[in-house]
Amino acid sequence: MKHLKMNRFLAGLFCLLVTLPVIAQEDELKDLPGYVDFGDLSVTYGEPKLTINLGGTMLNFVGMMSSSESPETSELISKLKGIRVQIYSMDENVDAARSQFSETKGNLKSSGWEPVVQVNEDDEQVLVYMKMDKGNMEGMTVMVVDDEEAVFVNIIGQLNPEELGRVMDQFDVDVDLDMD
Amino acid sequence: MNEYDEKREERINALLDGELSPDDADRLKAEATDDHELARAIIEAYQLQQAMDTVNVERAPDSLRKKLRAIPAEQKPNPFFAIFQPRWAAALASIPLVIIALTLIQPDTPTEREVAQAREEMAIAFAYLDRAGVITGRQIESKVGQTMADAVTGSVNKAIQSQNLTSKEKEV
Repeated sequence: MKHLKMNRFLAGLFCLLVTLPVIAQEDELKDLPGYVDFGDLSVTYGEPKLTINLGGTMLNFVGMMSSSESPETSELISKLKGIRVQIYSMDENVDAARSQFSETKGNLKSSGWEPVVQVNEDDEQVLVYMKMDKGNMEGMTVMVVDDEEAVFVNIIGQLNPEELGRVMDQFDVDVDLDMD
Repeated sequence: MNEYDEKREERINALLDGELSPDDADRLKAEATDDHELARAIIEAYQLQQAMDTVNVERAPDSLRKKLRAIPAEQKPNPFFAIFQPRWAAALASIPLVIIALTLIQPDTPTEREVAQAREEMAIAFAYLDRAGVITGRQIESKVGQTMADAVTGSVNKAIQSQNLTSKEKEV
C-alpha cells in the first residue's frame, strides 16, 4: 500500500511538472486583453493546416536577433506580446467556419473590440477588429473565410501598421497566398 | 496455573537443583509428608529430571550444521541489493524528476534555429494580415473603382492607421 501511494505521488508529480509550463504559457496569453478565442474547428475540418503560437518570450528572442540587422523590426516586435494563427483547409462545407466567424464577431463586439474592415461577399468574408485602450492598441484580429480556407490571426500587443508596412519587405518569406 | 501452583513448582525445581537451603528443604519435605499431591509432584519432577539426564544428545550431521550456520549470513541484507528497497527505489526514481523539474523551471533559451523558425512564423502571420488588406482593397475596387479603392484603403494597413488616428482624435 505504501509503495502504491509513493508511485501515485511520483506519477502525479511528473504529470504536474510536464504540463505546468504549457498551461502557464497558454494562461499567460489568455489573460491578455488582446487575446481572442477562435473556438475549435478541428472537429469539422480536422487539424489546422497551419497553427502558429508565439508567446512573449519567443518574440523577445526574435526581437533580440533582429536588433543588429534591423532596429526598426526589433522595435516593432518588442511591442508584441503574442501572435496566434490558425488556418483550416475546407471542403465544400463552409457552414461551420462561417458559424464560427459570426460567433467570434459577436464576442468581439460585446468585448469592446472595434471593427476596422468588414467585407461580406457570398464567397468571401473578411473581418479586421482592433482592441484599443486609451489610444493604445492591445490587440488585433483578422478573420478571412472563403470557399477554400478559414484564416484566424490574433496579434496581441501593440502593432503599428505604419511600421509593419516598412518592415514587411525585410521578411523574405515565401507564403503561398491564394489571391484569385 | 494459579499463584500457589507456580510457587510450589518453583520450590520443587529449586529442591531438585539443590538450590533450597537445608531449612527450606526440610520444610518442603515435611509438607510433602502431609500433602500427597505435593509429594507426587516432587516424585514426578524427580523422575522427569532423571529421564532427561539419560537422554543422549545426538550430534547433527556436519552438512546440516554447515547449512544451519550459513543461514544468518544469507539472511543478512546485501548492501548492493539494498538500493532496490522501496525507499531507495523511490529516491532513485525522483532523480530524473528533479532533473526534469530543474530543466523546465529554467527559462527556455531557444536555439538559433528555433528563433529563425519563430521569425518565419511571425512573417507568415504578417503576410496573412497583408492578405486581408489586399482582399479588402480588391472588394472596394470591384465596387467603386480603383481610384476610390486606393483612396479609401489600398491595404488594411491604411485602414488601421486611420483607426488609430480616429481614436487619438477622440481623446483630444
